[in-house]
Amino acid sequence: MTMQNTVMVVDDEVMVTAALRSFLELETSYRVLGYTSARAALDALQTESVDVIVADFMMPEMDGITFLKAARDSRPLTSRVLLTGYADKENAIRAINDAGLYYYLEKPWNNDHLRLVIRNGIERSSLFNELDSRVAALESAHMELHGVRRRLLQAFR
Amino acid sequence: MRSDAPADAGFDDPLADRVNEARLATLGLLVAGLVHEINTPLGAINSNHDVLRRALGKLQDILADEVVEPHELDEVRRIVRAVDGILRVNDLAVERMRGLVSNLRNFGRIDGSGTDMADLHEGIDSTLAILAHELRPISVVKEFGELPRVPCRPQQVNQVFMNLLMNARQATPDGGSITIRTARLGDAVQVQISDTGAGIPSGQLGRIFEPGFTTRDGRIGMGLGLAICRQIVDRHGGRLHAASEPGRGATFTLHLPLVQPPRIEETVQRSPDRTEASHDEANSDTR
Repeated sequence: MTMQNTVMVVDDEVMVTAALRSFLELETSYRVLGYTSARAALDALQTESVDVIVADFMMPEMDGITFLKAARDSRPLTSRVLLTGYADKENAIRAINDAGLYYYLEKPWNNDHLRLVIRNGIERSSLFNELDSRVAALESAHMELHGVRRRLLQAFR
Repeated sequence: MRSDAPADAGFDDPLADRVNEARLATLGLLVAGLVHEINTPLGAINSNHDVLRRALGKLQDILADEVVEPHELDEVRRIVRAVDGILRVNDLAVERMRGLVSNLRNFGRIDGSGTDMADLHEGIDSTLAILAHELRPISVVKEFGELPRVPCRPQQVNQVFMNLLMNARQATPDGGSITIRTARLGDAVQVQISDTGAGIPSGQLGRIFEPGFTTRDGRIGMGLGLAICRQIVDRHGGRLHAASEPGRGATFTLHLPLVQPPRIEETVQRSPDRTEASHDEANSDTR
């Protein structure tokens, strides 16, 4: 374990962010960032590196789907999870495909399930990150090879 | 000071029947809203209960050999921190549920159909609580002034608040706001409900209080309709009118007198021209 994973929790109800924080801090070693404002959370994403975002659906400033779509723009590799009350379920499910979310959880949530979803989300994000850095490494190796080839051709011309 | 005279019973009174119909619809909304509202504190307590059990299990494990190793102290401190957080959340959750029950009780108390000296702020707050779920995507601004108690039928007046607030909600896109202002103006009180919606086209402004007027096809009417709202207000010897600039929202203004005519329930039948006067007023607001 070289790096502490970070989970961002966004819900306009401090009860929810605090309950999730208590659970995650007791049972995992994740760093937990809790926000009751979607806008503040988006601001934080400009500087914070986050592995998984768990966001409520019904929020006053913007709904969870809008928030998670905006979060994708600044952190495309982060796994995004929607947490919904049952009353919003239909709307939420319809919007999930549109926003390309990783998972959706219903309130009241089950802690073990939540932990599993977050753990898998972290794994997924780190795989994407690894893929991303491997692709970048391949690209730079390719560029390097290209340069070597050009130099070789010039040398033997 | 209730006056439950037989005339208040509402027999042969179409308005009372429609108020009752609307109250049933309100009850449905109340239940739906309550189910959703209670889900948040319930979810928090449900999770916390589970975390407390886990915390206890961890503490029992640490204490099992009856010796707390120095390295285990950090773990104990972590558990204590988690339990502390949990207790604070549970305080909030219990407080929220207490508030929900209190709103319900309040709603039940003011549910009588008789005349009472009502605290309009209480009525507005109670109505907002019922609509909390509906109103969540928009912000509600309260600019309450000092109001004396108002002689009225709280059940009916709250139904007017409910209707005006639902109209405002439906007119306001998510992210918008509704502002509720109250003030005493001489021997009357004024309640204004403004929204940041699309507004009412000037051609429609004069017609919105007409019976059966609607711009929402196929919507299940949970309210009374503005025509009935105005009838209720007229019966109280008050006034209800609307002003709007298209694109800049609408404002509904309600005046209720602090001194009621002796039998408010008969006012409409005795002075039909009152309705006419109010209509003219609404039209004069079309600017």
